[in-house]
Amino acid sequence: MVTLAERLPDPVRFPPLREMFEARKQVFVDLLGWDVPVLDERYEVDQFDDEHAAYLIVGCGDGRHAGSARLLKSTRPHILDTLFPNLCASAPPTGPDVLEITRFCLGRDQSARERLETRNILVSSLVRYALEHGIATYTGVAEMGWLQQILAFGWRCRPLGLPRTIGGRMLGALRIDISEETPALLARNGILRPAPLERFELRQAA
Amino acid sequence: MGTFQNAEAFLRDVSATSSETELSDALSVLTRELGFTYFALTHHVDIRLAPEPAIRLHNYPEEWVEYYDDNSLGVSDPVHRASHVTSVGFVWSRIPAMIALTPRDREILARGESQGIGDGFTIPANVPGETHGSCSFANPVGLPIRGEDLPLAQLVGAFAFEAARRLWRVRSPHDANAPKLTDRQRECILWVARGKSDWEISRILGIQHETVVRHLKQARERYCVAKRTMLAVHALFDGSISFTDVMKR
Repeated sequence: MVTLAERLPDPVRFPPLREMFEARKQVFVDLLGWDVPVLDERYEVDQFDDEHAAYLIVGCGDGRHAGSARLLKSTRPHILDTLFPNLCASAPPTGPDVLEITRFCLGRDQSARERLETRNILVSSLVRYALEHGIATYTGVAEMGWLQQILAFGWRCRPLGLPRTIGGRMLGALRIDISEETPALLARNGILRPAPLERFELRQAA
Repeated sequence: MGTFQNAEAFLRDVSATSSETELSDALSVLTRELGFTYFALTHHVDIRLAPEPAIRLHNYPEEWVEYYDDNSLGVSDPVHRASHVTSVGFVWSRIPAMIALTPRDREILARGESQGIGDGFTIPANVPGETHGSCSFANPVGLPIRGEDLPLAQLVGAFAFEAARRLWRVRSPHDANAPKLTDRQRECILWVARGKSDWEISRILGIQHETVVRHLKQARERYCVAKRTMLAVHALFDGSISFTDVMKR
């Protein structure tokens, strides 16, 4: 089961989602050393964590956040156009059917095999979300090692520009085109998992 | 190579290749466009002993390849070893700063030079749960590397490796044929990798000595290996346990 949380004003206010922001701090700040804001020395929350963001969360609210990803609208300010415009050779793809995948996070407290399984569930849920919401294209920024993994999921990827070294990390921008054939492409690489989405209800938040 | 738009067309060709020959041809063209002479796209295994379909495409000189295979260099090549400590492309002249070189490593690098291979650029391609791989571009001795095209070479390497992976249909460890370990077996192997004896593992996990012996025996059978060291190596290789798991704490 994957939780879909969207249209939440000030998402970090909701306890079940806090685990995700906490895991993000552990992964992106403590492990990967990203220079991003931290709230209360505990939660990684930035200017894009608002009511326009959507979150897909594996293991939400039961005290065991396993993985999560944040989706930003390409029609609003997002990472690619705000922080890394020079990773794109021309203007990044935008539109109501284009979303940007950001903060793809796999919780640290898992064995290698568990982490791969969480990753597979999360990637499958991204495809499911796209197909259910009329999303044709995902964009994203990735470090080179992660970029190779993203390609290896087997879905259709294209580079948006040349990789660049920014802040000591070599980053590249990608577009991922999603269609009815995408689940089969993931299945061929052993990635596809059943990933039904359960909507996060505000009353859960109490 | 000029603009990214040109490059994108090439990358699309690479992604659309439907045979080894096509991929090899596309890579030959790209190699020249990037200002290089040779390319080698490979899994880091002893190609003659590889149990699964392993990737290797190249246009290196024949004598070099023979030397390479005769000496089983696929797994110990300093270039390959260096590519295991980074996910970003590197020029070969930087290798001494990346890994400690033994006299034999220096001999391998020197031997390459005597075969006419000069400096090169290697893009690591490490997919979790699969054999490490890389894509290298190289020049003959005396022909320098064109620095401005290296970001593009990085991109080409990543997409070419994925194209090869698709063609060879390298399966993920979640393939139905892959050995599936129970949680207990995996836990025991983790402690084997940390150098513990069966008895020590039984104390650590609070289970019977014979139970540990049985778990490890069954795990060895699943991988068809006789020794505990090989068991740990196989479990690391297919991602059942990770280096991080082993070295934690």
